Amino acid sequence: MSSNTTRRGFKLAGALAGISMLSISVAAAQQITVWCWDPNFNGATMEEAFSRYQAQHPDATIDIQVFDKAAMEQKLQAQLASGSTDGLPDIVLVEDYRAQKYLLSFPGAFEPLTGKIDYSAFAPYKVEVSTVDGQTYSMPFDSGVTGLFYRSDALAEAGYSAADLENITWDQLIEIGKGVKEKTGKTLLPIDPNASDLFRIMMQSAGSWYFDASGNPTIADNPVFKSTLETYQRLLTADITKPVAGWTEYTGSFTSGDTLATPTGVWMTATIKANPDQSGMWAVAPIPRLGDIDASVNASNLGGSSWYVLSSAPEKETAIDFLASVWGQDVDFYQKILVNQGALGSLLAAREGEAYQASDEFFGGEPVWQNFSTWLAEIPPVNYGIFTEEADAAVVAQIPAITGGGNIDEIVAQIDAQVRQQTQ
Amino acid sequence: MSNPLALIGRGATYVALSLAAFVSVFPFFWMVIGSTNTNADLIRGKATPGDALWRNIEVFFTSADLPRVVFNSFFIAGVGTVLTLLVSSLAGYGFEVFRSRTRERVFAVMLLMLSVPFAALMIPLFILMANLKLMNSYQAIILPSVASIFIIFYFRQATKAFPHELRDAARIDGLKEWQIFLFVYMPVMRSTYAAATIIVFMTHWNNYLWPLIVLQTNDMKTLPLVVATLSQGYTPDFAVVMVGSIFATLPTLIIFFLLQRRFVEGMLGAVK
Repeated sequence: MSSNTTRRGFKLAGALAGISMLSISVAAAQQITVWCWDPNFNGATMEEAFSRYQAQHPDATIDIQVFDKAAMEQKLQAQLASGSTDGLPDIVLVEDYRAQKYLLSFPGAFEPLTGKIDYSAFAPYKVEVSTVDGQTYSMPFDSGVTGLFYRSDALAEAGYSAADLENITWDQLIEIGKGVKEKTGKTLLPIDPNASDLFRIMMQSAGSWYFDASGNPTIADNPVFKSTLETYQRLLTADITKPVAGWTEYTGSFTSGDTLATPTGVWMTATIKANPDQSGMWAVAPIPRLGDIDASVNASNLGGSSWYVLSSAPEKETAIDFLASVWGQDVDFYQKILVNQGALGSLLAAREGEAYQASDEFFGGEPVWQNFSTWLAEIPPVNYGIFTEEADAAVVAQIPAITGGGNIDEIVAQIDAQVRQQTQ
Repeated sequence: MSNPLALIGRGATYVALSLAAFVSVFPFFWMVIGSTNTNADLIRGKATPGDALWRNIEVFFTSADLPRVVFNSFFIAGVGTVLTLLVSSLAGYGFEVFRSRTRERVFAVMLLMLSVPFAALMIPLFILMANLKLMNSYQAIILPSVASIFIIFYFRQATKAFPHELRDAARIDGLKEWQIFLFVYMPVMRSTYAAATIIVFMTHWNNYLWPLIVLQTNDMKTLPLVVATLSQGYTPDFAVVMVGSIFATLPTLIIFFLLQRRFVEGMLGAVK
């Protein structure tokens, strides 16, 4: 039986090889070029998606080019600014925070996909970030749905169970942090004082951002923004955080057990699970909410990216067909990339699949993916606008003042002034 | 017997120099040690040799078409260095030896252009290359750097020490101007060339921004681009990055040690 199958396999392989030889000239004409920035994450998922497409369309080939993220953005921007479309890819990965900036700065450079993709099947907030004037441009990819990753073993030691972390406010988390410090002597959270991650998470949990839908700053007189800064101040002055500098030190801090928790995007799962010796010691709770803001929910977003098709793409039609037929509907594909790459896509129907239902021993046998996708659907949509980075910089510049116990109203006024000056 | 004050002074000098040596050698030490550890150990700050070197090398070698990438880097740096040295030294020699008021003005304008950052030239240069149909080619990277203002300036300064008598003697002997440059100037100035070789080779070898923009396919990538790709992504493996960095550092290091003595001479502007 098995030898029979093998022989048949050889014949099939031979036949396929023959076909691919014959189709080389055709294939060259149908090559889709993709730019992305992580060979193990978005590059690998793209490869998996394409192998599925290729099974139906043997003529098509793909060239996935992986760059360093900042470099890829620089390359894309330089080329779009020069107006020369020579050498641009067919499909490019864009971080959600930057999407509006590209779409508004380079009108006509990206292909609107409204009508070609059923956007009602995706998480609403992902669609919102790539919509300009009623046209949506992206194939939504990975979500940055947030959760509070924590060391369940250390917290249990301090007397806290999973129920104690379920749907809490940031102030409740501060109390937990103090309790943990008292009982175990360990610090709860690593905080990078040059990162704006926490501000973004807190703001979006209440459906608010630095700007409103028409791009006007919503910093002064915004109760959500004020509450965000106040919460951050309480968090940083409570002696439950440890300052870290840069990404490596940040991830190193909680993977080495030096700190016990971190509120971040689902994509951190891969980094945490890279230490198999910590299996069963981790858990994920819903992200805390802002206690004094009614609109704030226990769900938010950090990061995430989507695929865009360039209008100038030589293989535009093939690229769109590929995205729509695999990324747009293949539930099975989303199970595979969840298991292999830890990529949580934005296709809501994928939640019903097997992999999403499964529990994870690493996280104490909890169905973490199911939880993440439940939170995913609850993320309040916001429009990131085109000046998120400038606003981030203005906030980061005031972090020393915030942690130094400065007056929040004055700090808000300073941030507002800097953002207005930079964005007018 | 030397006096105790001088001894203390000397001790202080050694302490200061040792500190400076440590500060400059440590990154290199860290790179080598890091390449033998696993990523997790590296992040924890383990500063002793580990046993993951072969695994890291293996990952690095499978991460890109390395022979091709190394060839690209060597080809661009090699051809680029030879052309840059030829063109720029000829220009530097010319500016110093055949002076005129107009040439001084041209030279002054060139020096001013040193202050224009590359980022400002990038997009016009990109459009130029696109119109010349030179995108994704070795020429696109080599040509813009062949006339290096800094190297022209450097050769002009060095030429001031080139004895007039030699040139006059060569003329009397019947040599043409280009022969004087090739057979008298170049051999005499070999220390200057050696120093310039190191500088120019390093610039070409480490060039990152322009190749990034102008190279478009994986088979044209250079080493710095490959190393940069390794160091990003959501879960970078820093141990592999260290292996990549060693690879990218070695050629410059070898060239430096080969030309070290001449480099020092060249920097001092010695003509013997």
